[in-house]
Amino acid sequence: MHQTLSLIPALPLAGFLILSLLGRRLPNRLVALIGAGVISAAAIIAIWLGISFLQAPPDSGAYSVELWRWMSVANFNCSFSLHVDALSLVFVFVITFVGALIHIYSAGFMKHDRDYARFFASMNLFVCAMLLLVMADNLVLLYLGWEGVGLCSYLLIGFWYETTANVQAANKAFYITRVGDTAMAIGFFLLFRELGTLDIPAIQKLAPEHFTSGSPIITAIALLLLAGGMGKSAQVPLQTWLPDAMAGPSPVSALIHAATMVTAGVYLVARMHVLFQLSPLVMSITAVIGALTLFIAGCSAMVQTDIKRILAYSTISQVGYMFLALGVGAWSAGVFHFFTHAFFKALLFLAAGAVIESLHHEHGIFKMGGLKNKMPLVFYTFLAGAAALAALPLITAGFFSKDQVLWYALSANGGNPLLWIVALLGAFITAFYTTRLMLVVFWGTEKTHVGELPGRLMTLPLVILAILSICAGFIEWPHNMLHITLFSDLVQKVLPPVVEAEPVPSEALFQLIAVVATFSGVFVGYLLYRKNTSIIESWKQTPAMVWLRDFFYTGWKFDELYNILFVRPFVFITQLNKQDVIDKIYAGIVSLFQRLNGIFSVSQDGSVRTYVIGVLIGIIFILALQLIL
Amino acid sequence: MTEQQLMALLPFMVLAAASIVIILLIAFRQGHTVIQVTGFLLMCLVIFAMWYVRGVLPQTIAPLLIVDGFGALFTGLIVFCVLVVGLFSYIYFEEREENPREYYILIFLSTLGAAILTISRHFMSFFIGLELLSISLYALIAYLRTRNNAIEAGIKYLVLAALTSAFLLFGMALIYMETGSMDFAVIAQRLNAAGKSSALFLTGFGVMMVAVGFKLALVPFHLWAADVYQGAPSPVASFIATVSKVGVFAVFLRFCQELHLQNNSAVMMLISAVAILSMISGNILALRQQNLKRLLAYSSIAHFGYLLVAFLPGNNTGVEAAVFYLTAYAITILAAFGIIILLSPGEKDADSLSMYRGLFWDKPFMAIVLTVALLSLAGIPLTAGFIGKFYVLTAGVEQRAWLPVIVLVITSVIGLYYYLRIISTIFADSPVTIQKERSLNQFFYTASYAALVVLTLLLFGIGVMPAVIIQGIKQFLVIDR
Amino acid sequence: MPIQYYIAFAATLFCIGVVGVLTRRNAIIVFMCIELMLNAVNLLLVAFSKMHHAAALAGGGKNVTTGVEGQLFVFFIMVVAAAEVSVGLAIIVMMYRNVHSVDVNFLNRLKN
Repeated sequence: MHQTLSLIPALPLAGFLILSLLGRRLPNRLVALIGAGVISAAAIIAIWLGISFLQAPPDSGAYSVELWRWMSVANFNCSFSLHVDALSLVFVFVITFVGALIHIYSAGFMKHDRDYARFFASMNLFVCAMLLLVMADNLVLLYLGWEGVGLCSYLLIGFWYETTANVQAANKAFYITRVGDTAMAIGFFLLFRELGTLDIPAIQKLAPEHFTSGSPIITAIALLLLAGGMGKSAQVPLQTWLPDAMAGPSPVSALIHAATMVTAGVYLVARMHVLFQLSPLVMSITAVIGALTLFIAGCSAMVQTDIKRILAYSTISQVGYMFLALGVGAWSAGVFHFFTHAFFKALLFLAAGAVIESLHHEHGIFKMGGLKNKMPLVFYTFLAGAAALAALPLITAGFFSKDQVLWYALSANGGNPLLWIVALLGAFITAFYTTRLMLVVFWGTEKTHVGELPGRLMTLPLVILAILSICAGFIEWPHNMLHITLFSDLVQKVLPPVVEAEPVPSEALFQLIAVVATFSGVFVGYLLYRKNTSIIESWKQTPAMVWLRDFFYTGWKFDELYNILFVRPFVFITQLNKQDVIDKIYAGIVSLFQRLNGIFSVSQDGSVRTYVIGVLIGIIFILALQLIL
Repeated sequence: MTEQQLMALLPFMVLAAASIVIILLIAFRQGHTVIQVTGFLLMCLVIFAMWYVRGVLPQTIAPLLIVDGFGALFTGLIVFCVLVVGLFSYIYFEEREENPREYYILIFLSTLGAAILTISRHFMSFFIGLELLSISLYALIAYLRTRNNAIEAGIKYLVLAALTSAFLLFGMALIYMETGSMDFAVIAQRLNAAGKSSALFLTGFGVMMVAVGFKLALVPFHLWAADVYQGAPSPVASFIATVSKVGVFAVFLRFCQELHLQNNSAVMMLISAVAILSMISGNILALRQQNLKRLLAYSSIAHFGYLLVAFLPGNNTGVEAAVFYLTAYAITILAAFGIIILLSPGEKDADSLSMYRGLFWDKPFMAIVLTVALLSLAGIPLTAGFIGKFYVLTAGVEQRAWLPVIVLVITSVIGLYYYLRIISTIFADSPVTIQKERSLNQFFYTASYAALVVLTLLLFGIGVMPAVIIQGIKQFLVIDR
Repeated sequence: MPIQYYIAFAATLFCIGVVGVLTRRNAIIVFMCIELMLNAVNLLLVAFSKMHHAAALAGGGKNVTTGVEGQLFVFFIMVVAAAEVSVGLAIIVMMYRNVHSVDVNFLNRLKN
């Protein structure tokens, strides 16, 4: 058991090493075989591990294995262990399984790219880092994984580095997530100062004894950790990098910027739930941020024209739902939404990638159209994903998870009607932009010629993901329908159950309202983009609407705001410092040492006599020292 | 002498026999290859003997020697270094015109001297070991006798080593006068009985420090180091950098441990002053050095300054740290010198930094090994050098020796500059191709490359999993007490 | 004779040796000066040996061997010095062959 556990991250690492060292010399088929093979093998091991976990849960509630004891010197002890409990297991399963499907898809998608090996090497490294992140039993190792995924994200966003815009997007992602990472690191330092350990199990044990609930220090720590999660998970106000990150290849967007990495923040908050529970204030902040994000990003998604940007905003918005759920204390609902979202959002990105590829790298949805009959398989799988995203009731996975989130946003202890209304509004918006996307891309007249259709390597993952997008929700039903709660039973081994506020309102009524919101979203979309397109035309004449569209289109002008707030003052300061005053200090140090070097070198003049004098000076020095003391 | 004492001395007897065997081989006109292989096997035999007799340790052979875990550990390190140096020597001397056979006699005699130092517990064995080591070294340094540089380095080393030996003896005589004994343990006893340390003892110790400082190339007795490293044949330079220093450090450490000099504030003040001076001057001297062998000499000055910081505490952590640091340092320096030896064309040594420009594009394997060695010297994480430095810092901080610790940190930063300078040269564009024929038996090239691979793996291995080595060191040191 | 006399004498010899090493240019003479230093130490050791022996006798011991190691050490030093000289002279001869001089000041090709 123990060895297999360490195999899960070790396999992708091995793949990365092989591909990065030998990749250029291997034929493409072998590269794909290694790249996708190691992830698939890891997925199989993960599934096997999951089955044995479910059949016979370990006594401690987690599998753990010490990988490596780095050193233990005096009082300093540093060792790394993997620790897989129910929460990690969910993440490991999603990362390896969805990761394997995406790798298989990539084998077809990237086949014309000349940097085939580099792509798979980076993807494998990403999976390895992500697995380390979720399997770490220690915040240092978690941080290693955290930075590792950041690095891979950077490498893969800028994968086509010949285009300047791609490189800029990669840089932007790197800088902005770095803000969060720094905050998180400071949080870890504070935690270490307070508790003297960074072991996750130890923290969970010590924290409730050490901190009083709501004390300033725990609030600061939780807030800093939350900031780290917000950076990685693209939550307001650190969300601006994700839409630009779509510059990377579609499989990258599917794996990193939809299914796994952007949910690392969710994992962090869920993993550190003990700390968050100790600080009700930060819990509320989390919920508010989630609600804000889902609304802001949803609005932006409504007006985008680039298919991948629509999906990107939608991802931000869906991760907002997860944060909302975490914030109101519905831990398992948040993780469940991550679970279903991983499938349908990966599916949507992959299908979008197939569309883009077939239409000769066309991203604009208004240049697509009429693909329903040209690409039937992609259409049906996309439809499944879109239905799940829009949360069509009972037949899609998205419904089950989003329904939970909505319900707890109202009924959980930390929830309140305002949050619920925003979430409901979000559901309406989601349904609307999903409908818009479907109608514009797949119905109507054909505007671009359809090229080569995706091959079997690409369609197989689509089909599997489509099935999962429909069925994955059936393992957890709303309480008032069927009593199937497989998922929350599993996760609640680690995460505390929801505390519902008293009195509990009638669940069915609110469910009905949510369903109505969804359907009205679909209907409005249908009305505007299919039935009566003249309404939009008339809006295009109205200045207020044009302004609003522009406002949404640019992501609520966050980029401009940051430009004014940070970039310009920074440029101003650097201009002030054109002479580089600070550098003078360093130059001074350098010349000081060079001069010292010159002085010291005089002693090395090669003459024996000087050396003898050196020895004598030494002895005089020593004897003088003795005399003084 | 009991049977067990004889047993304990077995490795040292094998070592002594090694040079005699080589003399006999030369008498029977055997070739270089036979001598090389026999020498290698004999060194393996020494290590095997050490392992074989581990059960009877510790054994005191009164009054001169004590074979304990401490001695076994250092002797093992020394013999390991000699194994590697010997392997590299074959190619180096085979490519040069001189008759290399007597070289091995000298090397083994010198090694015997260093090994005796590690087990010495008396001034007499201390002196004999030291002189055995140095006298062989005089000849070794000047071995390539047609070259001016070698002779010059030999004379410089000769004059200064003889001078400092005289100081050592003077110091010993003063301590002998004070305590009436030359046995470390008895000296410790007499000093304890006398209560506070006398001025005469301190003077004697200070004068002895001249010789120790000279051998370890500590400031201000370091001036010879760069010249000798540059002038001596590269394998001999690597021998001086590792074996000779390890041996002298071992006896110095034992002397100070036995006499509990760590409790003596005057001695500690002296050693910290020397450590601080060494760290500063070594690193500053290396800054703009263009000759790789000289640069390694300066860096070794700095490194022994670091080592003294570990030495200061005098507790167990300190000793462990020192042993660990020496091990890491020896492996690193052997790897670096291995590259210099393998790259050296027949007529001169590859010591000028300009010869390494763009090495990576020409000989990637060598470049990577050298880079790893330099990173380890600079103390970059995941290499042995980092753990060593970390260990030393821990020991220093534990003892609250703040000033040396701070100097260590600052000078490490300065050190980083010149290591990175070499690395950037290695990876620069426009490579200089070093022309070198491979006229020799392929086997020895393979063996040398294998040795380099092993050294590199050790550097990483110790950096990644130091716990194994630390455990080993602790176990050996426990045999002591 | 009080021990201080011996110490003073030996120290003087030692200092003469040091000064010689420092000032003379001929390698052979430099070597002789080092020998002088070694002999100063020998003298010192023998004196101390005698001193400790006398002290032990005065302390009431009979057939005491105290102090014998000092004299033993002297023999070792002599042997080692002889070995050192033989190797040293060989190197000096080599130097003479190469540069046709035994002036140590000619040796300054190795430097920064």
